[in-house]
Amino acid sequence: MASDSPPANTNDGPSSPGENASSPIGNTYSSPSSLRSRRRARSSTPSQFATPPPPSRLGVPSSTPPTSRPSAARSNRPATPSHTDEPPPSSDDGGEDGADDATPTFVWGTNISVQDVKSAIEMFVKHFREAKESSDDLFREGKYMASIRKVIEIEGEWIDVDAYDVFDYDPDLYNKMVRYPLEVLAIFDIVLMDIVSSIDRLFEKHVQVRIFNLRSSTSMRNLNPSDIEKMISLKGMIIRSSSIIPEIREAVFRCLVCGYFSDPIIVDRGKISEPPTCLKQECLAKNSMTLVHNRCRFADKQIVRLQETPDEIPEGGTPHTVSLLLHDKLVDNGKPGDRIEVTGIYRAMTVRVGPAHRTVKSVFKTYIDCLHIKKASKTRMAAEDPMDVDNSLRRVDEDVELDEEKLKKFEELSKQPDIYEKLARSLAPNIWELDDVKKGLLCQLFGGNALNLASGANFRGDINILLVGDPGTSKSQLLQYIHKLSPRGIYTSGRGSSAVGLTAYVAKDPETGETVLESGALVLSDRGICCIDEFDKMSDSARSMLHEVMEQQTVSIAKAGIIASLNARTSVLACANPSGSRYNPRLSVIENIHLPPTLLSRFDLIYLILDKPDEQTDRRLAKHIVALHFENAESAQEEALDITTLTSYVSYARKNIHPKLSDEAAEELTRGYVELRKAGKFAGSSKKVITATPRQIESLIRLSEALARMRFSEWVEKHDVEEAFRLLRVAMQQSATDHATGTIDMDLINTGVSASERMRRDILASSIRDITLEKMQIGGSAMRLSELLEELKKHGGNINTEIHLHDVRKAVGTLASEGFLVTEGDRIKRI
Amino acid sequence: MGGPAYDCLTNPLGAVRFSFGNALSSGYDPASSHGKDWGVVDLFRHYFSDESAITQVPILDLSSIKWVQPNTLVRFRGMIQDMLGNEFYAGAYKDDSTWRTNKYSDVSQFPDGPSSETQVWERRLLYCVPVPGRNQWTECSSIELKNRFLDLTGQNREKRARVDEEMTDSIDSNTLEAGLNGSPFKKLKAGEGTSSASECQLPMTDGVPQSCVIPPATSTDSLPCLLKVYDSPESDLKLNDVVEFLGVLTFDPNTMMDMDSPGDNSDDFSEAESVQMPSGKVPRLHCLIHRKLETQHFLHSSSLLTELKSPQMFKEIRESLMKHLTGLLGNDHIAAELLLLHLLSKVHGRVDNVAVGKLSLNLTHLNKESMSIFGTQLRDALKSLLPFTQSIPLTIEYLNTASLGPKKDYGTNRLVPGVLQVADGTHLILDETELQPGTLNSVGVENANLLKNLLECQKVEYDFQYYKMEMATDAQMLIFSEGKSNIMPADMVLPFQPSQVNPLQVITPETAQAWRCYLATCKSLSHSIGQELQQVLENDLVAARQTDRSLGSQDLSRLLTMARMMSVSYGETSLSLEHWQMVLELERLRKERLK
Repeated sequence: MASDSPPANTNDGPSSPGENASSPIGNTYSSPSSLRSRRRARSSTPSQFATPPPPSRLGVPSSTPPTSRPSAARSNRPATPSHTDEPPPSSDDGGEDGADDATPTFVWGTNISVQDVKSAIEMFVKHFREAKESSDDLFREGKYMASIRKVIEIEGEWIDVDAYDVFDYDPDLYNKMVRYPLEVLAIFDIVLMDIVSSIDRLFEKHVQVRIFNLRSSTSMRNLNPSDIEKMISLKGMIIRSSSIIPEIREAVFRCLVCGYFSDPIIVDRGKISEPPTCLKQECLAKNSMTLVHNRCRFADKQIVRLQETPDEIPEGGTPHTVSLLLHDKLVDNGKPGDRIEVTGIYRAMTVRVGPAHRTVKSVFKTYIDCLHIKKASKTRMAAEDPMDVDNSLRRVDEDVELDEEKLKKFEELSKQPDIYEKLARSLAPNIWELDDVKKGLLCQLFGGNALNLASGANFRGDINILLVGDPGTSKSQLLQYIHKLSPRGIYTSGRGSSAVGLTAYVAKDPETGETVLESGALVLSDRGICCIDEFDKMSDSARSMLHEVMEQQTVSIAKAGIIASLNARTSVLACANPSGSRYNPRLSVIENIHLPPTLLSRFDLIYLILDKPDEQTDRRLAKHIVALHFENAESAQEEALDITTLTSYVSYARKNIHPKLSDEAAEELTRGYVELRKAGKFAGSSKKVITATPRQIESLIRLSEALARMRFSEWVEKHDVEEAFRLLRVAMQQSATDHATGTIDMDLINTGVSASERMRRDILASSIRDITLEKMQIGGSAMRLSELLEELKKHGGNINTEIHLHDVRKAVGTLASEGFLVTEGDRIKRI
Repeated sequence: MGGPAYDCLTNPLGAVRFSFGNALSSGYDPASSHGKDWGVVDLFRHYFSDESAITQVPILDLSSIKWVQPNTLVRFRGMIQDMLGNEFYAGAYKDDSTWRTNKYSDVSQFPDGPSSETQVWERRLLYCVPVPGRNQWTECSSIELKNRFLDLTGQNREKRARVDEEMTDSIDSNTLEAGLNGSPFKKLKAGEGTSSASECQLPMTDGVPQSCVIPPATSTDSLPCLLKVYDSPESDLKLNDVVEFLGVLTFDPNTMMDMDSPGDNSDDFSEAESVQMPSGKVPRLHCLIHRKLETQHFLHSSSLLTELKSPQMFKEIRESLMKHLTGLLGNDHIAAELLLLHLLSKVHGRVDNVAVGKLSLNLTHLNKESMSIFGTQLRDALKSLLPFTQSIPLTIEYLNTASLGPKKDYGTNRLVPGVLQVADGTHLILDETELQPGTLNSVGVENANLLKNLLECQKVEYDFQYYKMEMATDAQMLIFSEGKSNIMPADMVLPFQPSQVNPLQVITPETAQAWRCYLATCKSLSHSIGQELQQVLENDLVAARQTDRSLGSQDLSRLLTMARMMSVSYGETSLSLEHWQMVLELERLRKERLK
């Protein structure tokens, strides 16, 4: 029997099958008492009170000496909330032991035959094959037989069993397992043991089953008394984990008088009784036995508190928590802050009024006996998979489960001709206008394809966007929205961020004194979007840290003896105010943005958000606000996707769609790029206009890829490229930019110039006309603009505001277009 | 009284058991019911269907806790401060083949015989505290009840004498409180008045706002309560709701024993609430029925509500209140108008990040001296008008040290309250005149952000350490500052221009009552707008924006909110052109002053 295994291998967990059968969950009741018993043993003063017999969670089928079991099981009852359908274990014992007998045994209180369950499990383990497997090779070993062999090979201790497989093979077994986990799992373990020993008779370790991936997952909030003793699975976040508690399993005592070592004594009902006398016949000294710690065997136990994740908390509620009990290998599987999905058995435990009291309170403590823990971020299963391919960007919630129905819906959505518009509309629906900005942001969410060439060169797929605009144009709101939408987004404000805060910093661990690397915002938003508000207010040194991140997508650190390069594959979404808070139309775009070109060129899209007076917009705004206040806001809403659909649509596309450039699109790209380059080639304009750089062609590729992704298209088409070009142009208001000066001609943007402004311009133009009529002959000598300005100022009775050269130039431009005069650089000539 | 009715009041558990027995005989099966209600709620709800029956039940507070008997029916009025999750208990058990129930009781009647069949049921645990910033007038005196109660339970005479003394005392302070607003005499009195819960949070010492530091809601002088709620859907009771619970008061002697041996028993499974909250300090209430409290419930004479029907009534009260406010504000009429609108504001809708209906007011041009006159007067006036008021001094020191946002403490598994965990409708006064240049530490910055966020979005971030959760909050915020407050960007900014200092007006309790009632009624009025006027509004807004480009959507939104408040202040439920124009005029005057 396994219990004979050398006591030295303490780490291997329980070796006695009896204990093992229950070990994933076992000894729950035993915890307090076993601790107590240890204490007692140490102090050698056997306590007189009768500890309510605790342990053996199931009173389970086991091969422990039968004498102890039934009593343990039975006396266990009062301590457990008696649930009607909870089978008293005693009958189970019978079932187990009598496995060879012909008499059918049942799980207590039900008509479930232990025999049936056992054979069903056997069938499942031996014959289950995954659907695809069975088709190509009928004679291959079943999935779980293979894993059993593997476990034997690596001397593992457990086998992960996917509950979906169980359901697929035998739904009835699945239901029994979920409803009576204690019993069925115990049988499962026994079946496993049988199979293991039939393969390798010498295999000593006990192999347990770990069920995961239940078909339905409950939320912590919905746990209720009917879930007690059922198998459940739920998600949550670890908030606290206790230190590892060693729980005694086998004790060895030594006689202080003669030095005799007792045989290992196994925990029985959560306690170990210290032999009152020395067991050696020759000695028999009384009260001489003492516990030998280093020869005892302990198992690990840990208590972890799990809290609901924020998305499950209803409005106006606080998060619920639940305790988890972890054993052996599950211990330390998660740390505080980890999001996990746990499969386990929900249990309730009575609370004794006091340790010395037999009476129990009417209130139960509840906890989950863990069978399996899956980390939500990187599943254990996935970790065993071959390294996941780097260019599949999985930043958006990895564990979004998509069922067929949803997939179909997405397919349908993607087929809609106006999906692009629709998605743009669904993005921040409460922010008005800014349609092109939203389209750009949409591209950022979808992202391009990252490319890792064999040569080692890699091209990022993340799209960086900068929003520059007047105050009060809801830039920050857009940022907040995107931050909410992207699952691993970090929101920082440039004003409060330092370079190290954004990248990574080296800190001294207060406890150990070791230097540790703490991730900053950019590293934390790896494969996410890092939103930086108030970008212009950021210190230059902090900003320069972004150079590396935005192109190489890594953060390199070399300080305090730590040299490291951390991944920061993040899209940056930054927003800034123009250099003078408000956009100054007299300055060029570059001057307004006032950021170093090295940084600017790293942004794929730079949006100028200008507050343009437009009655149409105003009216819509007014309508919207009135509607907001008088509770018919819904009617004003256009048809749009809700935020959850949007997120899962985006994540699905990011995960599964990897569009490639079609030839046509590639051609269009080249053509457009050459044109773009030309635009920057005005003499002397290089400082004023953002010229196209090779980076821009990459941006364009990314943008067009993102656009194709939105349609779930595997090919980037010509119109995607065209749209990408349009976005680029629109973003910079390039249509309105005067290439010669780099300024934006506001006239072109403003469809509705305010009346007073127009009046002023008219007056200016007419006075220039007067002056020129007065001073110049047709075809006569030219006049400098500055002279004209002087004249105007002298003249300017009817112009009450200050005149700038800029205004004059504009007015002259108007006159020139009327054919009244010609401009020659800085001079004008009347014709 | 007598019969079952009598039972409801003094022996509620008897009534519960009685009805349980009835239910059993009519086929109620505890084994399959999951503890669903078997008619107890209806029984009590029926009995307490009218207000007068409810007033018979003593209110649990610091003073009454001394004489209220366990296992009797009490009321608790408070704010849900924390939710402690669900608790499983042995709801029903079989005692010699008859079912018994443990519902609505704490005491373990759970026999330990292994043969007994028990049913595990579920109840919710809520941790409630007296509403932060509650003003004295909201308290009902349960003195009368106490007398009756003491008679009933045959308490001794000496106590009776003390009661009488207390009664006169409290009557005094009541009348004084309502009547002589802000008189030094009253302040003296209020300071030592029947100290219940949190109303002595603001020691009203003249011009020393530093002392107005609000203690956390779980200070020693307030009485929290652990509520055990049955059969109530989760969405029914939310965090920060102000609720009146009616239920059975219990003491659990067992918890005391727990205290002796915390180490052994609490292997981290326990919610530990019994350890942290000994029943001596935190009474348990097994809630039978509950209702959300509106301001109206705090008004003792509900008769006024019916009177406030005709527009004429509204107009009259509005006028008298306006006169009062104008007087308080040194004859600054515009400030008084805006203050009234501000007092009527409440968040009535949320679209994403926009809280529709908030209207915070920033009175500028106030310095320390004028604050000591007008600020204190105003504060006292608001205390007598509104149910919940709090005052937050914006000093560097305060910002750097106070814990404004609630924070989850995982060590105790409790939500540690912050100053900004307030009930909906709480009025906050932020006094920035005391602010001196200085350095904010990280706590200070966080606090300032919290305040700003509350002002802008009416949301408070609760810190759950691993993540933060925004809770919608509805607080009216009034800011006093010297210049326009940049830390607290209010909706309305108005330079305060008092022309004279008025002597304190004497207000009769009836008037105060009428005003309270008026404010509460106006606030609860629904509001709509006609189709034509909607068009007018739109045109006006577009025109306003065309002339002044600096008007953002927030400004337009504010105008509409003001219009709503204006029309509501006249007791009307739909906006009229007249009121809209009044608002525009008011806005024009305000703009003029800003120049």
